Amino acid sequence: MDLVYFEELMFTIAFGGYTLSSILFFIFVAMKKERVGKAAIGLAMAGFGIHTLAIVLRVIESGRLPFTNQFEFATSFAWGIVLCYLVLHFAYRFTGVGAFVMPMAFLVMGYASMLPKEIKPLMPALQSSWLYIHVGTAVVSYGSFAVAAGLAAMYLIGERQKASGDGKTVLPKSEVCDYLSYRVIAFGYLMLTLVIVTGAIWAKYAWSRYWAWDPKETWSLITWLIYSVYIHLRFNRGWKGKPAAWFAVIGFISVIFTFIGVNNILPSIHSYR
Amino acid sequence: MTIDNFIRRLTSLGLAITLFIFIAAYSIIGTVLPQGLQREFYMESYPSMGSIITSLQFDQVYSSWIFRILLFLFIVNLSGCTLKILPGQLKKMNKDHFPKPKPDGDNLHAENMDLQIFRGILEKKKFRIVEDEKGFRASKHRVGNIGSSITHLGIIIIILGSFIGNMLAQEGFFNMLPGDIKGFPEYGFSLRLDDFKLGFRDNGTVDQYYSDVTVLRPEGEEWSDTLWVNNPLKVDRVDFYQTSYGWANSLSILGPEGEEENTLLRNGESYFYQPGHLTVYLYGYFPNMALTSMGEPITMTEQEINPYYAVILYEFGNHVASEILEPGQEYQFKDFTLAFNDSQLYTGITYRRDFGYIFVMLGSLLMTLGLVFSFYFYPKHILVEENSVRTITRQNTWGFEYQVRQLVQQSVEKEE
Repeated sequence: MDLVYFEELMFTIAFGGYTLSSILFFIFVAMKKERVGKAAIGLAMAGFGIHTLAIVLRVIESGRLPFTNQFEFATSFAWGIVLCYLVLHFAYRFTGVGAFVMPMAFLVMGYASMLPKEIKPLMPALQSSWLYIHVGTAVVSYGSFAVAAGLAAMYLIGERQKASGDGKTVLPKSEVCDYLSYRVIAFGYLMLTLVIVTGAIWAKYAWSRYWAWDPKETWSLITWLIYSVYIHLRFNRGWKGKPAAWFAVIGFISVIFTFIGVNNILPSIHSYR
Repeated sequence: MTIDNFIRRLTSLGLAITLFIFIAAYSIIGTVLPQGLQREFYMESYPSMGSIITSLQFDQVYSSWIFRILLFLFIVNLSGCTLKILPGQLKKMNKDHFPKPKPDGDNLHAENMDLQIFRGILEKKKFRIVEDEKGFRASKHRVGNIGSSITHLGIIIIILGSFIGNMLAQEGFFNMLPGDIKGFPEYGFSLRLDDFKLGFRDNGTVDQYYSDVTVLRPEGEEWSDTLWVNNPLKVDRVDFYQTSYGWANSLSILGPEGEEENTLLRNGESYFYQPGHLTVYLYGYFPNMALTSMGEPITMTEQEINPYYAVILYEFGNHVASEILEPGQEYQFKDFTLAFNDSQLYTGITYRRDFGYIFVMLGSLLMTLGLVFSFYFYPKHILVEENSVRTITRQNTWGFEYQVRQLVQQSVEKEE
């Protein structure tokens, strides 16, 4: 049995961990039992640890970071989502957030599990240290946007609960979800800016042009513009609450399209399958 | 509309948001519609929309006048907006400036807190403390006030730098065989390709490709270097990029009276041989040929292990033969004999001279720095009076309050 076998095994166990964690988070939100919440967090952490191990095994096997095709980015993206969630959790201890974030990690892992996992050698254009900075910042940025979208969804559901007069809830206050969503978006936005800037520097080295209006580049810019609108409205017009939450969700849809849609639908020099 | 009113609108946030949306929407069109093709393509592919596509320049979105107007308006809006807000931001950077707390803001004062301990904690956190008659005021990160202006300035530099840079940029593409010299008299040097080689992995696939070149100057100075993908060569202010490679295949045609014509053909190219009204079309050179299940020739690797040429012949424009030939194998057609004797790798090199890049990088640096200031070094103020601790910040009200609550709690714990 080689490393690839163990990597796939670890990936599957991590996927299972995220799945169970998501289910437990739902039960926690529905039944409001603290022990269930703790178990959900524990599973998310265990899943994250095993997922990290799977990634490390792949790094050993391939001799590089797993950033070069759809599977590798998807698994790194899911890892980024859980990382951002755990950082948020340990900073603020809002257990209920997991019910909205872990399902996203589960979905992205599910997508990754359907993709070919074979390790391919790096094509000439990808043989650059910029790959790690450019895609690494993308992993963190996309992960942040996913968490922000989860917080925004939580805000929307929290507001609905408030309207329907549901009493006890384990979700953080709507105001908190709103603020956290904004802060996480601000971080993701900064990271996305770095993704675009490092991509431009790399493109200049590899292809002679720092910007060529390739669909991937353009959709990254579109996503950046969407979040720019969000940040300006929020900061200057005091946009909060529902419209801001919906905007966070729309921004994340654009992120997903930039990742999956552009790779599969639009012809691009970035379509590494 | 008065001039003041017009300027206010031109520099308003409303216009900025509208432009963000329009630029994004217009960009989407550019990713969905094929760009830069002939007008006929759009008329045939989109019969009902073809004329709209071409008249609104949706076929060349990123160089269209609509896109340029949008970017111009964006620059004007962003510059105006920055000039409008900058004086206020600079005023707020003054250490005497201290904003008023919101009347409905929470009082974070805790019963058992000792203000001196709290003050000590704030000092450790690098807050600047100013005492007044009622208590003290703590402030930090005043530089964050100009974060948005720095970001705006960065974006303006990026757009103008790239626009002017692209206008003045010189670029081109050329192929070279080993031994070829490409002159650049306008830059005062020439480039000679000494060698071109492919780097192979164990499984025979191409890992990287390398061009060994020598830069020659008229005064006799020369120096050598190697280009590969991701490793461009800079000569003066011109960058040379390893872009592509291919096979140049030498074709010779022998006529009935012994007259010979020689030429080089690349894959997909054809040669018209006048004496025989013969067109030789090189479908492809396959250095390590195999056939697919459909009988299509493909090459397994770029290593010359099992080389073959797939050739199609036309006489007076009519197809007369399709052949697979070995190197040097002669093919007789009527009175003519043709053969592909050997193949040589050629390199494809792009060159570009672009002044805009340095401005784009400077703008990117400023933009990123401005965002870091805005999001992480935003101004934080704490007004401490008897039985009252209030936070003042615009950027992260809840988060800052949360942090200060924890500091208050720390001061209570220390007191206990």
